[in-house]
Amino acid sequence: MKKKLVALLLAATMVTGLVGCGNSSASSSTASNPSSSSSESAEESTKENTKESTEGETAAADIDTSEHVVITYMTTGEIPTGTKEKYDAMMVELNKILTEKVNAELQIYFIPWTDYLSNYNLTLASMDGTVDLVGTASDWLDAWPNAKNGAFLELSEDMLKTYAPQTWESVPASNWDLCKYNGEIYLMPEDNYAQWVNHGFIYRLDYAKEAGLEDGVHSWADLTEYFRYVKQAYPDIIPWDSDGTQYGQLASGYILSNTDYVSIDGLNSGAMWGGTKDDLYTIYSPYVTETDLLVEYAKMMKEWDQIGVWKTDVLNNTASTNRDDYRIGRVAAEQHHTQTWTDLVSHTPANTIYADTPDAASGFFYFGEERDNVVALSITHGAMAVSAGSNNPERALMVYDLLRNDPDCYKLLCYGIQGVSWDMDESGLRILPEGYNQDTDNINGTTNYWWGRNDNLEIRDATRNWSEIDKLYDHYDSVKIEYPYGQFVADVDMIQSQINNINEIHTNYMKQISFGKYKGTAEEIVAEYQAALEAAGINDVTAELQRQFDELYK
Amino acid sequence: MDKALNAGKDAPVTKIPAPKISFWKKVKKSKVLLLMCLPAVLFFFFFSYMPMPGIWVAFVKYNYRDGIFGSAFIGLRNFEFLATSGKLFDLTKNTVLYNLAFILLGNTLAVFVAILLNEMRGRLFKKISQTIMFLPYFISQVLIGILVFNLLNYDTGFVNGILSSMGLEKWQPYAEPGSWPPLLILIYLWQQTGYNSVVYFAAIMGIDSEMIEAAKVDGANGFQKIRYIILPNLKPTIVILLLFALGGIVKGNFGLFYNVVGTNPLLYSTTDIIETYVYRATMTDFNFSTASAVGLYQSIIGFIIVVTVNWIVRKVEPDYSLF
Repeated sequence: MKKKLVALLLAATMVTGLVGCGNSSASSSTASNPSSSSSESAEESTKENTKESTEGETAAADIDTSEHVVITYMTTGEIPTGTKEKYDAMMVELNKILTEKVNAELQIYFIPWTDYLSNYNLTLASMDGTVDLVGTASDWLDAWPNAKNGAFLELSEDMLKTYAPQTWESVPASNWDLCKYNGEIYLMPEDNYAQWVNHGFIYRLDYAKEAGLEDGVHSWADLTEYFRYVKQAYPDIIPWDSDGTQYGQLASGYILSNTDYVSIDGLNSGAMWGGTKDDLYTIYSPYVTETDLLVEYAKMMKEWDQIGVWKTDVLNNTASTNRDDYRIGRVAAEQHHTQTWTDLVSHTPANTIYADTPDAASGFFYFGEERDNVVALSITHGAMAVSAGSNNPERALMVYDLLRNDPDCYKLLCYGIQGVSWDMDESGLRILPEGYNQDTDNINGTTNYWWGRNDNLEIRDATRNWSEIDKLYDHYDSVKIEYPYGQFVADVDMIQSQINNINEIHTNYMKQISFGKYKGTAEEIVAEYQAALEAAGINDVTAELQRQFDELYK
Repeated sequence: MDKALNAGKDAPVTKIPAPKISFWKKVKKSKVLLLMCLPAVLFFFFFSYMPMPGIWVAFVKYNYRDGIFGSAFIGLRNFEFLATSGKLFDLTKNTVLYNLAFILLGNTLAVFVAILLNEMRGRLFKKISQTIMFLPYFISQVLIGILVFNLLNYDTGFVNGILSSMGLEKWQPYAEPGSWPPLLILIYLWQQTGYNSVVYFAAIMGIDSEMIEAAKVDGANGFQKIRYIILPNLKPTIVILLLFALGGIVKGNFGLFYNVVGTNPLLYSTTDIIETYVYRATMTDFNFSTASAVGLYQSIIGFIIVVTVNWIVRKVEPDYSLF
């Protein structure tokens, strides 16, 4: 009898548990349906609104903000732990302003860095209204694939004029064109923020001088010499503690330095297709055509491997902390972009090399330096989109407009509360207030607002080495070309399986080539690599891209 | 003729005035058993059968707004990339061979260990050794990957530290694909044997002690006892566990391979399995449809294998088959 009772109870709890599950999922799915339809109807009603009111600005006053809503903004970054207290305080302040101005409050939905791309895409795919504003990027956060998959809301001009008037005004029409797919605007670009993310090697200028490179490293041959010297003179230092993921940047860097190649962003991680500076709209893949160059590269990397630039098992090295090791002088080079160099070249408290060694200095050899092959960053390297699952797209736009253009909101979100997380000195530079603790007070490194930074509102960081940085930026500005393919959103459905296989081949061979781990001669491995690419249909992909290019540009 | 015979055969069966038990009576009669079944039935219904129509996603060009059933049908195009990679055969071969090794060696060793445990007299020693063997099962495969790297890497690895201090030549497994099949099997056995042996140990415990005592009385020695009493009694358990394991033979152990081998292309010739390849190839474009297509391919092959093996088992020994 007892047994029966227990069995009955057990079964009953299981059943109710399951029924409970079923119910909740059912109710949530029904709940999301009306929300999506309501967003559609809202869109229609906004169109009507703007039709009624002739001027966008007057429309803003008519917007009904009587209901208090929460707008969630999704960004990549770690959920604040150490800085949580200051972060919460900042959000309270920020939300006071937002409530007063648009009767909304902001919440940040963090996508931590571990597996960020999968989690980011999964969150978008759920479309249940968990996020409203989405920080995105065409080159590193799948902005276009998500737009094509229907994750982002089409932003009509009327909507932008009504709900984000300052943003609409500040972005020139030509830049809005670069945010369109099939004639619809999906992204609000970060187009007024100077940053350079072209890659290169950050190295120790003082070591380079000791090695006899008086003006520093300016070519790949100089790099070889530099690494050879560092390995001999400083046996305790690993010249560059690379992990196995750096193969692609190295290879594309070598190509940039030796050709006029301009790559198309966002096609695959290797950026294997593009044009040349003189002939931008004829697509080719240097990985297929530049055989001699690749052989030369393979030989050089074999030499680096033999010098001992990286650890022997570099391909399985996943625990490298090279950048932090650079700060404290345990390695002598870091491969990353200019933005990272602006940090490492500056005498910040974290960069202890400058305090420990008086003559320490950091130089930057950027890929393409030999031929001034520099392409400006695409304006959608950072952009904000509105989720198609958002329940309040209009208010989301209004909030974004403030975050991007309102000085108070901007400073709070980007830097934190003045006097706590940052302060301003007499010359208008951003300094750290007295008693500042990086681990608990840092907001700039917490909120990761990279989707609408605005140079009109930016306050320069006093710790940065601006004389060096401005010098390099000015040089870039004098030689750069604008990113030419901003309007090209490839339709890859028909060639996706080829691209997948090409990715795999590129990764497998390039890892061996870039770290000098191949067996046999350089000529053999390059020939094998190119044969594999051709077998996987790289020429078909090139031809298909060319066809789509011709449609767009001719 | 056949029909007539069959009809003749069937006729008496139907004519027997079997006590007609209604469906509801049957239910009422075994309601406790049915209730006990219910959670499992519901579990499989909700988590295995309800999501099943979702397989459709493997045949469409999935887009978030239109959903699985609203997206455009594109036939087998999602399966194309696996076929055109030219690696399908090698990948399936690696996956199947590793799993065969895991299943066969794993079960043999587990039975062996279970018998050893059974034969041990010291209670404390038995418990301690069982616990020690069980522990690796709880270690995350991420940690195992790190442990192995720290043991085997060339510059600072433990093994190479010992080799070089003895004046021997260093060993560089991370550049030698040939060293990985034995290594991976060893790691798998180290991790899983303790856990697997528990089932067999329990089965041995369930053997009627009268049989063993009778054998002893008849003068059977230890080996004869194992050979003629324990092993034959374990046979059904072994066969059922094998059948279960075979269903997953094309499903690779992603955690183990990805964490231990990582993304080192020098080793792919012997260590690349379907899961790791698909993970690498589709990670960049986040394609639900292709991933589901691969899953479906694996499930179909697994299904065919289970049905075939079960059929063979039924031919040989009907009692041991699953269905």
